[in-house]
Amino acid sequence: MAKAIATAVVLLVLIVVPFAAPNAEYALDVLFLIFLYGAMSSGWNLVGGFAGQVSFGHAAFLGIGAYTTAIGLKAGMPLVVAIVLSGVLAALYSLLIGLPCFRLRGPYFSIATIGIGEATRLIALNWTSLTGGASGLTLGGAPPIVPQYFGALALCAAAVGASYWIKISRLGYALAAVRADTDAAETLGVNTTIAKTQALVISAFILGLAGSVYAQHYLFISPDSVFGFSTSISLVIMPIIGGVGTIAGPVIGAVIYTFIREQLEANFQNLDLLAFGLLLIAIVLFEPKGLLGAFDRFVRRRRPAAAPGASGG
Amino acid sequence: MLSGRGLTKRFGGLVAVREVDIDIPRGEIFGLIGPNGAGKSTLFRLIAGIMPPSAGEVRFDGKPITKQSPSAICIAGVVATHQIVKPFRAMSVVENVMIGAFFGRRPQPRGRKNARAVALEALRACDLAERADSPAKELNLSGQKRLEIARALATDPEVILLDEVLAGLNPTETDRTLDLIRAIRERGVTIVMVEHNLRAVRGLCSRLAVLVEGRKIAEGNPDEVLADQRVIDAYLGTATHA
Repeated sequence: MAKAIATAVVLLVLIVVPFAAPNAEYALDVLFLIFLYGAMSSGWNLVGGFAGQVSFGHAAFLGIGAYTTAIGLKAGMPLVVAIVLSGVLAALYSLLIGLPCFRLRGPYFSIATIGIGEATRLIALNWTSLTGGASGLTLGGAPPIVPQYFGALALCAAAVGASYWIKISRLGYALAAVRADTDAAETLGVNTTIAKTQALVISAFILGLAGSVYAQHYLFISPDSVFGFSTSISLVIMPIIGGVGTIAGPVIGAVIYTFIREQLEANFQNLDLLAFGLLLIAIVLFEPKGLLGAFDRFVRRRRPAAAPGASGG
Repeated sequence: MLSGRGLTKRFGGLVAVREVDIDIPRGEIFGLIGPNGAGKSTLFRLIAGIMPPSAGEVRFDGKPITKQSPSAICIAGVVATHQIVKPFRAMSVVENVMIGAFFGRRPQPRGRKNARAVALEALRACDLAERADSPAKELNLSGQKRLEIARALATDPEVILLDEVLAGLNPTETDRTLDLIRAIRERGVTIVMVEHNLRAVRGLCSRLAVLVEGRKIAEGNPDEVLADQRVIDAYLGTATHA
């Protein structure tokens, strides 16, 4: 209940901000980025967190969404159609790659996703007639920040909402079982391939929509920007910072990630990968459950009475 | 009802199970026994669909289930427990069992409330109800073995396959588990158990099959089978098959 109220308050404040400070361009821009990254991070978390299938190739879905919107808008497609199509094409693509990849488990799955991500980037790079190759695609116009702000906020809220809904649903239980022990899940009737594929398709749909928002914001996309391996890595880093497999964790991670990146880009360019690498090592070593895990431990230490009483079984 | 024909499993040059025919009638407590390395657990895995046979076929209610995934076999009504317990450690005891309730044989309960109710019923049957909300990893071995059975029960099975559920239990825990197995049988569930403990098997099973070096050498009611000279030889080590 307290969580629901807190969520509602945060959402309300975020809705009011652009009206209260319509000229704070930089602040709105940073918040926009947080929402965009929060949506992407929450989307990744459905597969990497809930199902425990760590993907290093999720940039593929972001890129497909971004290119679909860019190509669609250039061809004169209505914006709404381009947005929906971005999500749908990314989801279809995920279906195509999920079937072979989910025959693999653990590290083998992760390695396969690296291959998929890079292969997709190379296709975008070399299919010049469609994608413009290395020189990328440029969109005209300079849309105001406020509508984009709301678009990204809606997407982020939807991604978090979908995470919550999945977590308490039958699918959420299936994914938790897959993550804990795939063999045991199978023997209890969980079709683990279908469960993982469902999570991947929803995840890719969210990433595809995020790609669309990305293209509309930056007005320029290239294979290296949206399909780049560093994008895939950032999608892994954010949920791990906040708390992988949780609902709020990926968004908290996105907040931290955005702030650190903004600071580094302004002051120490090209140091961001080093910084995130060190941060990742520190978290995996000291607090594998991320900031939410650290928070839980802090709360529990202050309320030792809540410790579970274990007796004989 | 559950049957295997010509079941064979090869691992490279080693033949772990050799052309075994087996028929498990409805309502039995069927014991699968044999000395160490006889291929009991391999045969068990072939029947449960955890491992595909090199040759042969498994049928359930006349339909072949050999090529199906373990989840499909579970949904058809045949559920297996694991010899090495595999609890979902991060989940609570009742959530573990809810997985079985959500995904077992159809019709499945809709929503968490229903799944939890089915799970709690299975936990009560397995004497675990008061531990429902503890983390599964806090159960001791006996508790985790009963959790395996509770999860299997929650799938509403027609057949439960138990792989050495008594292994590692002390005499009190063993008796408690034997009572539990009888109670499950009373619900009309057919039970197939791989077991080492001959004393337990003699008192519990209505039918036994004996596996030695991958072959079925005897089958019948426990008293007959355990008096069979070939079975005695196999257990006492004077095997004529070497």
